[in-house]
Amino acid sequence: MADFTWPWYYNFPPFFTLQTNSEVRRSQLESWCGLVLRWARHCNVTSIDVASCSSLPVFSNAEVGRALPPEGISVVLHELAKRGNLEWTDKSKTRGQVLWLSTGAWADQLYRWAQATSKVNTVCTLYELTQGDESTDQEFFGLSDDVVLKALRLLESQGKAEVIETPDGTGVKFLQS
Amino acid sequence: MGHLFSKKKRSSVTEQDRAVLQLKTTRDKIRQYQKRSEALLEKDRELAKKLLLAHKKERAKLLLRKKRFIEDQLQRTDGQLENIERMIQDLEFAQIEIKVVDSLRDGNEALKEVNKLLSIDDIERILEETKEGAEKQEEISALLCGFAAATGLTEDELDAELDALLQQDSSGDKIPELPSVPEEQLPDVPQEEPSAAAAKSRPQKSPQKRTAVEAS
Repeated sequence: MADFTWPWYYNFPPFFTLQTNSEVRRSQLESWCGLVLRWARHCNVTSIDVASCSSLPVFSNAEVGRALPPEGISVVLHELAKRGNLEWTDKSKTRGQVLWLSTGAWADQLYRWAQATSKVNTVCTLYELTQGDESTDQEFFGLSDDVVLKALRLLESQGKAEVIETPDGTGVKFLQS
Repeated sequence: MGHLFSKKKRSSVTEQDRAVLQLKTTRDKIRQYQKRSEALLEKDRELAKKLLLAHKKERAKLLLRKKRFIEDQLQRTDGQLENIERMIQDLEFAQIEIKVVDSLRDGNEALKEVNKLLSIDDIERILEETKEGAEKQEEISALLCGFAAATGLTEDELDAELDALLQQDSSGDKIPELPSVPEEQLPDVPQEEPSAAAAKSRPQKSPQKRTAVEAS
């Protein structure tokens, strides 16, 4: 949690109460979505469980003694899903995958990295992409395999990569576009 | 029904690629094992220090034995990792070599095709035609030269006319005489400062007499 700078409105008690006025609520949700995504990116949070959300520091501020109520959290998460920054991993919508960058943006980053490191036409493992020595300075370093795989599937549909499934693990071959 | 006739997209993943992936997966597993072991070693080192401070020498010894065993394992995995890395490099380089050989083969085929298009007979025929063309050109040139000779001017006459022109040019462009350079010496520069008397004798600007002007 160190180093994350909370915005001024995080210490503003009314921020933790869903506003009834539609204009104000739209602005409030905008702020909530931005805050959740920035926080998730900073803390490398890639999945969210609705049940345990209320204990996350982003939704509760001990300093002002305020927390966003469960229905508020639900509204924020649904708004994130609507914007494409959250994908539900189950039908009952209790668990979701946070995408602080869109799948397309991750795909672009991965392919650009492959070109820069001469990985085009060679095989890479998922571990090599997210934990390897050559990707330590990349934003996708430490990213969850699910998000990476989703981005690779998108590259596959664009003809820029081919995902290889084996009993030992998953890999990818980047192709010349 | 359509899927029966649809073409399956040809995979660009070769058997060598699968072999490389398998090796890389093994390499990753070894690296993960090494990371875990190193973290464990660090933890055990700290624990051994605490046990020594608490005078639990036997338990500390046990931990050190475990530490040595893990270090041996790590050394062994380093060797395995080196072998795997070398194997990956060899496989990837072999794939590049295959591409090089394929390119050379394609180049050779293309060269053969070009050589087929150019037969020796064709080249000889072209050269013969070129030679004939050159000879014909020479004939035309000779005829034209003959026409020039028929005008009645000989080479000697032309040379004489050219010399006459050159002589005319040289006589017409004579350079006019320039005035001679004066021979007398210039006076020397004085070595010492001019004297005070000489300075006094120099006419000085007389100061203007100031007169009061009435205020208007």
